[in-house]
Amino acid sequence: MLEVHGLKKRFGRKRPVLNGVSFSIKPDTLTCLIGLNGEGKSTILKGIVGLIPMDAGSIIVDGTTSREKIAFVPDVQTMPSYMTIGDALTYMNDYYSDWNEQTADELMATFKLLSTDKINELSKGNQAKVNLLLGFALDRPYLLLDEPFAGIDLFTKEQIAWIFSSHYMEGRGILMTTHEIVEVEHLIDRVIFLQDGQIIDEHDTEEMREIHGKSVQDRMREVYQR
Amino acid sequence: MPMQFDQRSPVYLQVIRWFKERIATEELERGQEIPSRREIAAQLGINPNTAQKAYKEMEEQHLITTERNVPSKITTDPEIVSKVRTELLNEAVEQFVHSIQAIQVPLEEVVTKIEHLYETKERGKIDA
Repeated sequence: MLEVHGLKKRFGRKRPVLNGVSFSIKPDTLTCLIGLNGEGKSTILKGIVGLIPMDAGSIIVDGTTSREKIAFVPDVQTMPSYMTIGDALTYMNDYYSDWNEQTADELMATFKLLSTDKINELSKGNQAKVNLLLGFALDRPYLLLDEPFAGIDLFTKEQIAWIFSSHYMEGRGILMTTHEIVEVEHLIDRVIFLQDGQIIDEHDTEEMREIHGKSVQDRMREVYQR
Repeated sequence: MPMQFDQRSPVYLQVIRWFKERIATEELERGQEIPSRREIAAQLGINPNTAQKAYKEMEEQHLITTERNVPSKITTDPEIVSKVRTELLNEAVEQFVHSIQAIQVPLEEVVTKIEHLYETKERGKIDA
C-alpha cells in the first residue's frame, strides 16, 4: 500500500495549494485524482515521488519511506528531444535495474511504435504512448500518471485506455490525474475529489453506481458546481 | 470489440447481463469454456477487478462453474438456462408494459401492433 499522510504545500506567499492531503493507493487498483485546474493534482504526484519538496506530510510505501517502488509518468516529454525511441529504451535499460525489456518490446508492438522514430517528431498521441510505455516497463508496483490523455484524439485515447484492461495492471496500484473522465470512467476503481487543497470526497466507483446510480461525471458536477 | 457502457450502472452487472443474453440464446452453449478473467477484461475493455467481480457473482448465481486449474465453463444445468431466459423476458416485458401504460394505449391495439412488427422483423431477418 502507498500511504500519503497530511501533505501540505504553499508556493511563495500565496494561499496553500495542498492543505493536509491524506489518502492511500492499494495494489491492483486504479485510482483517479480529480480536481479543477490549479487544485494541485500534479503537485501531489510530484510530491509523492519527491520531485517537489513538501512543507509537511509523509509518504509510506509498503511500510518504508523508500520511493524506489514508485514510477512517475509526467504529462510532458522528459527524454532529450534528439533521441529516437530506440535510444530512449536503451537508456532506460542501462540506467534502471528494474527495467523490463520484454514489457517494453510488447508495448512497442501493441502501440505500433517504431524505434527509429525521433521523439520530438512524434505526434502528441504517440508521445503519450511512449511516456506510458516508459512507466509501465519499469517493474514497480506503484505507478503515477499525470494527465495521460491530455490533448489526444478519441481513438488514441481508446488505444491507451486499453492498458487499464490488460494484464499489465496486475499487481499495480495506479494513481492517475485526468480531466478526460468520460471515456475511461468505467475502468476506474476509485475516485478522489480535490478542492481548496483538501480531499472533499472519495468513492469506490462501482459502489457509487450501484448504490447511488451516479456516474463519476454526475458526482463531479455535484461537487464542483455547488 | 469493447463494450459500450452505461456509466450510471455498475460495470460488473453489465458484464453479467452480457453473459446472460448469450446464455439465454445459447450463443454460449451449456458446458462451453469461457475466456479467463484476464482475457475477458481485455476483450470487453474492462478493469480486471471488474472481470473478477463479475465472474465471482456469476459463480454464486451458478451461471458458470469454476474448478481449480481449468477454464471456467457455462453451467450445464438446463434449468438455469431456462431461468435466465425467463428473467430476461420478464425484464423486457415489464419495461415495455411500463412505457405502454405511460401513453395509455389499449392492450388489443398493442398486441396487434406487436404481432405485425414482429413478423416484419422476422421476414427482414430471413431476407438479410
